[in-house]
Parts: sequence; structure tokens; C-alpha cells
Amino acid sequence: MANITKKVSWSSRADDSAAAAAEEGTPLLLNGSEQRRFSRQELSRSQTREIPHNEKLLSLKYEGLDYDNIENQLFLEEERRMSPMSFRCLEISRWVVCGLIGFLTGLIACFIDIVVENLAGLKYQVIKKNIDNFTETGGLSISLILWGGFNAAVVMLGSILVAFFEPIAGGSGIPQIKCYLNGVKIPRVVRLKTLLVKVFGVICSVVGGLAVGKEGPMIHSGAVVAAGVSQGRSTSLKRDFKIFEYFRRDTEKRDFVSAGAAAGVSAAFGAPVGGVLFSLEEGASFWNQMLTWRIFFASMISTFTLNFFLSVYNKKTGDLSNPGLINFGRFESESVEYNFYEIPLFIVMGAIGGFLGALFNRLNYWLTIFRIRYIHRPCLQVMEAMLVAAVTATVSFTMIYFSNDCQPLAPENNEEYPLQLFCSDGEYNAMATAFFNTPERSVRSLFHNQPGSYNPLTLGLFTLTYFFLACWTYGLAVSAGVFIPSLLIGAAWGRLCGILLASFSPNVSLFADPGKYALIGAAAQLGGIVRMTLSLTVIMVEATGNVTYGLPIMLVLMTAKIVGDYVIEGLYDIHIKLQSVPFLHWEAPATSHWLTAREVMSSPVTCLNRLEKVGTIVDTLSNTSTNHNGFPVVVQALGNDEPGKLCGLILRSQLIVLLKHKVFVELARSRLTQRKLQLKDFRDAYPRFPPIQSIHVSQDERECMMDLTEFMNPTPYTVPQDTSLPRVFKLFRALGLRHLVVVDDENRVVGLVTRKDLARYHMGKHGLEELQLAQT
Amino acid sequence: MAFKHTILCIVLSCICISVCVSEDVVSSLDGQESLRSASSPVFKDNVDTVYSVNLLTAISDYSDISQYCKNLLDLFGIQYVDYVNCLVPAARPVKVCQNCFVSFENLNKTYTNISSDEPGPGVSNLEEIWEKSNCQNCISSDSPNLTNDTLYFLTMLNQTYNCFDQYQQGNHTELCKNCKKTYQELNVLYSDMEKNNTMCIDIEDAMNVTRRRWSKTFNCSFPREENVPIIAVSSFMLFLPIIFYLSSFLHSEQKKRKLIQPKRAPQYSSLMNIQDKLS
Repeated sequence: MANITKKVSWSSRADDSAAAAAEEGTPLLLNGSEQRRFSRQELSRSQTREIPHNEKLLSLKYEGLDYDNIENQLFLEEERRMSPMSFRCLEISRWVVCGLIGFLTGLIACFIDIVVENLAGLKYQVIKKNIDNFTETGGLSISLILWGGFNAAVVMLGSILVAFFEPIAGGSGIPQIKCYLNGVKIPRVVRLKTLLVKVFGVICSVVGGLAVGKEGPMIHSGAVVAAGVSQGRSTSLKRDFKIFEYFRRDTEKRDFVSAGAAAGVSAAFGAPVGGVLFSLEEGASFWNQMLTWRIFFASMISTFTLNFFLSVYNKKTGDLSNPGLINFGRFESESVEYNFYEIPLFIVMGAIGGFLGALFNRLNYWLTIFRIRYIHRPCLQVMEAMLVAAVTATVSFTMIYFSNDCQPLAPENNEEYPLQLFCSDGEYNAMATAFFNTPERSVRSLFHNQPGSYNPLTLGLFTLTYFFLACWTYGLAVSAGVFIPSLLIGAAWGRLCGILLASFSPNVSLFADPGKYALIGAAAQLGGIVRMTLSLTVIMVEATGNVTYGLPIMLVLMTAKIVGDYVIEGLYDIHIKLQSVPFLHWEAPATSHWLTAREVMSSPVTCLNRLEKVGTIVDTLSNTSTNHNGFPVVVQALGNDEPGKLCGLILRSQLIVLLKHKVFVELARSRLTQRKLQLKDFRDAYPRFPPIQSIHVSQDERECMMDLTEFMNPTPYTVPQDTSLPRVFKLFRALGLRHLVVVDDENRVVGLVTRKDLARYHMGKHGLEELQLAQT
Repeated sequence: MAFKHTILCIVLSCICISVCVSEDVVSSLDGQESLRSASSPVFKDNVDTVYSVNLLTAISDYSDISQYCKNLLDLFGIQYVDYVNCLVPAARPVKVCQNCFVSFENLNKTYTNISSDEPGPGVSNLEEIWEKSNCQNCISSDSPNLTNDTLYFLTMLNQTYNCFDQYQQGNHTELCKNCKKTYQELNVLYSDMEKNNTMCIDIEDAMNVTRRRWSKTFNCSFPREENVPIIAVSSFMLFLPIIFYLSSFLHSEQKKRKLIQPKRAPQYSSLMNIQDKLS
């Protein structure tokens, strides 16, 4: 009672502002229950209303993953049957699977690298020849059209693949994997088809000259490989190898997916430790020491495989010098050592990076909202991608054409495609080294080219154009990452900082090498955009191969994150939000202790009886308006409408398997020989359980009864009604729950908390806000 | 073993002396003061001044050097001086390989005669110059002479220069037009040699100078004269996205989301009634 009176005293205060907020359409939970009435009125008024897509929605299409082990009788029986030996075998096969994941991920990275290198090389050769020809004879506009047309054509291919065949393969895939590791089931995210589209899409978008990198998608690819290998079968290819059957459930699969993501990072950057930490940072709620060790194994195998096969490809077998897709080159010479007095400068650069990153994210956020609202048809998406490709080529060409920065060709900066254009013989256009190249190579030349090989104007213009191009490109319907463009932007302005410092300082040798400023700028920009912390530091340190850079990079990333977070969240979080994913952050929003399970939960709950009529079950499952996934099983007190006492929890997928196998009480009596259902039957149907519509139940069968006792989870997690939101949240996050039953003091079901109920509360500008559920 | 060591010492001392000679053109060899002052700039990295002086005094103790050996040593000294005297004036414009291959060959021969297997510091210094200049690419190895490729290049270069000289007076556009053919041929030849790695510093330098004259002095690089079509095409390209976004904003129907009312606890309203009653 004390609780309630407290609320009353609050509500009068919260009245005005809450009413104002309710007008805006976003219910705002300041502090009281009074306001709740407003939001309810608002909701009931807008029940049939449709609103334009915005970030404050939760989509119904996303469901949780079942990380909680279902300890039903079948499970116990199976465990009893298993010998200690077979448990040991399981452990070994986990290691085998991790090794395979690393190996295959490394192979995929190797394939992408080789294909991209060859195709891009071909493209640049053809265009260079064309430009050289037309510089002499006139008609460079034809080269421009050729370049633009070529880019648009290649990007069109990749974009058609993504837009028409597998939209989930678009973008870098890191937000999706983040969600998956968080416990959200993103439809089709770990399928073979997605992997294929991803790999070919990445090749197309990099060859198509977009401002993108091939590193981000490696993480997604690794995750798909992991999810596929660990299941020992492919549903798409309809092949079942009858191995690893034990791993066919969400808990095990999630562990392997985190190993796959780590292997992907490791192959992309040659950073095995960074990969492990990436998985740790993104999916850290479900970890133990053995798993970490296995993931590290997968990471190592992955980078080694890539390294080895690239050395074979480069005809230097055994020379393991290509640990990752991007190679920062060595930062080991004396000129790149930093001094104590430079650390404040680095921190300032971190702040600049944070600011620019926030600007990038803000612009991309507006653009993405526009895209979701207006450019949702696949053909429009393909057209947009083609336009971006053509414009990227045009802008690059114009910049190169009007650039007056000519540099002598020196043996140490080995440009592969030097463009001369209007420079003197024996010199090349410096702008072309930045634009007329794959982004990876441009990054490397910004890090390592001699001081003086770029003039400040070139770098400034390049930063400006590339910033907007990259911002425009991210979020297109092509599969491509944002890591490399961020690094490139940062390296360009970082190098610019280095050059300016050198020109303003009295002592020339003080800031002699702009290369290290390029590195710090790259770290700052990347940190400002993606806001990763620990893993990014380690990735950068591993990619440079110089541990002494650990401290400055850490400080820079820290500053960038602090400055950036002040304005807007990281790019991946923005995209997760815009996808309306019910993502659970580390902790419940602050100032939410006054919310209790009673307010959070969904109620009334659709319950099933322990002995339920088949017809009722079928009707419940086919009801499209309430697409529930978990049903508390209750013992009904006879003859009244009171909610029953909780005795278990059963999932939709289990019910569907039961219906498919017709496990009815009457049939069991009539056919004594019927095989008893085993856990294997559930695993075989995993992960694509058939929809209820595809299961035929005759009129007679509808009258049968089903006994759920054996199959339900007899000990689901429950909380009393007065549990606070942060407590519920902690349970959910730490245990990876999907359903949490709210019971009263007599163990009667009063409500059910799911992921969406928790994810809808978040801290907004004016305090605690509530997201709305929407059909997407 | 002792003999070998002595020889080495002698060679070393010779090197000191000869280098000093080439540097300062000191006439007297026995003046220790002049040695000390002169050798330091050259031997900064390799041999300490004091060390060399000590060596010299040590050698003077050995009086049992055969005459033959001494003759060889003298010859070596002379050739060394010749070589260095040749190198220095050939530094600009670079004609190191063309001018000095004879003296290098001689020096090398004598050196192999008197030396043990390990190269002395002084000679390795000079050999380094030879190697870094890639001179072996321009000198055929069997008979010490310039290779045919090099000779051909030099004739081509001469032709080009003749052409330059011919049209140098007056309008440079004339020169650009008339010498273009020979210049282009030279350019192609050069890039071929670059690709085949049959190029030494002489050729590289000559080409650099020629290119600079062609591009900077005579201003014969390609002019930037297509600004209008380039600007037209690129502004057309830049215009396309604007049209695209505008038209999709105007014509594409906006994506709407259907809001769904969540099921919430009915007790809640009753709870609020309680609250109302309480207040």
C-alpha cells in the first residue's frame, strides 16, 4: 500500500508534462501512474492509426531466442542415457567445430580478397589505359562516363542480389549479429543464402568503387559459417550429415555464432585477440572461460588460414605476412615513435574524431529514416545504389581532374595505378592515389607514404568529399562495411593534422612523420562512428603490430566515445533502433525502479491446461492477432474463471512438433506400439519449424486431448508482481530468458514478461519513454 | 694467418691514405696531422681516426713486406685515386657508369689480387656506390663495355637533345610538335628498360632531366582543356540523385507502420481506481 500512496503523490506533479508528451504521440513515463492513463487514452484513440516509420517503434516481427535450457522429462531421459564418454566426445566435437569455423571463415576471407584484388585490378587497368589515351587525344568525359558506367553496372549486380534476394545481407551485418548475440532472432540472418549474397555483394560493392570496405561483412560471414557448420546440415541444400545433432538448439548455436563473429573479425583485421574481445563486448552476457578459450582457438585458426592461403597465392608459401584482409603495414621505424608531449595532441584529435563521427551518424540517421520511409521498393533501392556508384566515380574523377597536386614517382611509394593526367612526365597525380585505388590501399598509402607526398589542400578536399560519400553510402542496399571508409576519412584528416603541425612548429624534426597522425586520426574517426572501445583498441593495436601504440589509441578512442556519445549514439545502435529491434542493453534504463513487473507485463496471458484439447491448441496457435510463442501451462481450478496455478511453460515450436507427430492421448491408447517422441524429433525440426497452417488436423482429431506434462518446461522462471523493472531486466539479460512468468502469491499466472515488454522502456530526451509496438 | 692479417692491415691503411688524397689532394703521405684532420669526414662511420693512426704506426714496424706486394699496393692506391677522381665529377649530371666503368674494373681486378675473401671497409664503401647505381645493368659483364641497350638509349637521347636544340629558340609549341615523336620513342624505350630492369642510374638521371625539360622548361605536358564537357557531364551526374530523391519523396508512398495495442494488465486500471479512491 505504501507503494501506491507514493505514486499518488508523484502523479500530480508529473501531470502537465506528461500530458504534453502524450500529445506528441510518444508516451512518456515520467514518474507516475496518472500519466499512464493519458498514454492509454492516446493509444486507444490511435488504435487503428498508422504512423510513419520512426526510431521509437518495436517491431513484432522479431522474436527472442531460447537460450534457456528446457529441462523437460525428455531432456532428463536423454541425459540419463548419455555416458560420461559421450559428454567428453561432445566437448571434443565443440573444438572440432570451432576449428572448422575458423578454417572456413579464413577461406572465405581469402576468396573475397583474391577476387576483389583481381577484379579491381582489371578495372583500374582498363580505366587507366582509357584515361591515358584520352589525356593525349582529348575526350576525357568519355573516360568519366566509362568509369561511372562501369561502377554503376557492377554495383547494380550486387544491389540486385541484396534487394531482391536477401535484404538482410545488406549493410555490414554487424548490427544484425549484435542483435543475434543479444538474443533476438533476426529472420534469415544466418542462412546459407545470406552468406552467398553477402560474399558476392561485398565483392560487387568494393569492385564497384563505392566508399565501402570488405571487413565488416566478414563478421557476418563468419557468424553464418558458424551457425551452419555447428548444425551439421544445411536446410537450404536439404542435406543432413547426421553429425553435431546435439548442437541443434539456440544455446549451443549462439556460442558457435559468437566464435564465428570472432573468427570474422580476426580474418578481417588480422587481430585474433581483438576478435575474441569483439565477441565479448557484443555478446558478453553469456560467457565462460572454456568458451572464451574455444573462441580464441577459432580466431587463431581463421587468421592463420587466411595468412597461409594468401602466402600460397602470392607464391611465397610459408611467408606468413598477410594476417588480415586489411594490412596497416608495419609501424616500427623510429620516425613513428611518439613522445610524451604528443599525447595531449592525440586526445584533441580524439575529440575531433568524436565530433566528426557524431556528425556522420546524425546525417546517416536522417538519411536512413528517409530511406525507410520512401525508398522501400527493391527497384528503387537498386536505382539508388547505382546512382551512388555513378556519383562516387564522377566526384572522384572531377577531383582528380582539377587537382594540381603532382608528386614525383618514387620507388618507395609503389603506386599500382599512377595516373599522370596533366602532371609532368615522371610525376603522378596525388589525388589519384587517394581516389583511384581500392580503399584499403589508400589507407595504407596515407599511413606510410613519405612526408610531403600529399599537399594539405588535396587531403582536405579528399576528407570532405569522402566523408559525405561514405555517409551517403552506408545504409544502401548493398553489403558493405563502414570500417574502412571511417579509417580512410580519419587517416586523411589525421595526416592533414600532422602536416599542419609540422608546418607550424618551429622545430622541423618535432612532428616529422605525418604517418602516425594518420593512424591516430583513423582510430579517432572509427571510434567516433562505431563507438566500440576495448575490442577496437586491441584490433587497432594488433593491426599496426606495435604495442606501444596501445595507450594513445585507447585514450583517443575514449575521448572520441565521450564526445560522440554526448551528441548521438554509435552507428550500429542507431541502425538497430531504426530496425525496431527489441534490443536489451547492458542495464535497465536509469530511474526505472518505480516500475514493477505488474506494469511491465502483458496480461491477460493465454494459458494452456496440462491436459488440453487439440482444437483449442490449434486455434490458439492459428490466431494471427496474438502471435504468441510461449504458453504457461496451468492446472485449472475447477469451475471458476480465476487464473490457474502455474505448472510449466511450453513453446510454440514444441506444440507444433507435437501436433505434427500427433501425440494425442487417444491415439497413444489405441496404438500402443507408437514410438515415443524423443528430443531428437524436436531437434530435427529446428530451426525452421513449420507454420501452423501447414499442419493438418482433422475434425475428429480436434476432439482429442494432448498431455503436455512430458514436454513442457516444468520449472520456468517466475517473479512476483512487485519485482522492479531493473530486477526483471537483470534476470532477462543474465540468463538470456525469453519468457518470464509473473505470478501472484498463490502461484497463479497473472502476466508474462517478454523481451519486447522490457525493450520498450528507454531513456529519451525528456526522461523515461515508452516505445510503441508496430507491425513491420 | 699472420701474413693474411698483415695484408689486411696494409689494405686498410692504403684505403685511408688514398681517400685522404682524393679528398684534400694532400701531397705528402707521411704527415700524421694532415691524416688525422682529413680522414675524419670520410671515415666517420667505419674507422676511427685514432684507430687508423694506430694501424699506420703498427704497419711501419713491419719492414719485411716483399717488393712485389708493395708494388701491387702502390698500383692499388693509384687506381683507387683514379676511380674516385672519376666518380666525383661524374656526379652531376650522373654519368657514373658510363665514365668510370674502366677504372672500376681495374680497381676491382687489383683488389681481388691483393685481398683476402672479406672485403675491406673502404672498398665496400665504393662498391656500394656501384651497386646502388645499378651500374652492372649498363655494363656487359664479359667485356667491360656499355651494353647495346644503353648505347641505343644514349643515341636516342642524343637525337632528342639535338631536336630540342634545334627548336629551342622561338616558339615552344613548335618544339612540342616536332620533337614529340623522338621524345615519345625515348619515353617508350625508357619504360621498357624500366620494366626489364636493364637500367642504371645514368639512364634514369638522363631521362629525368629530359622529362623535366620537356614538361617544365618547354611546357609540353598535356593541357587541361576539356573543362566544359567534364563539368557538364559531372553536373548532370550530380543532378540525377537530386531528381531521384525528389521524385521518390513526391511519388513513392510513405511507409506507414500499423501500431498495435499491447495487452496490459486489467488490474492496473482497477489499481488506479483504488488510487483515486485513496486520494
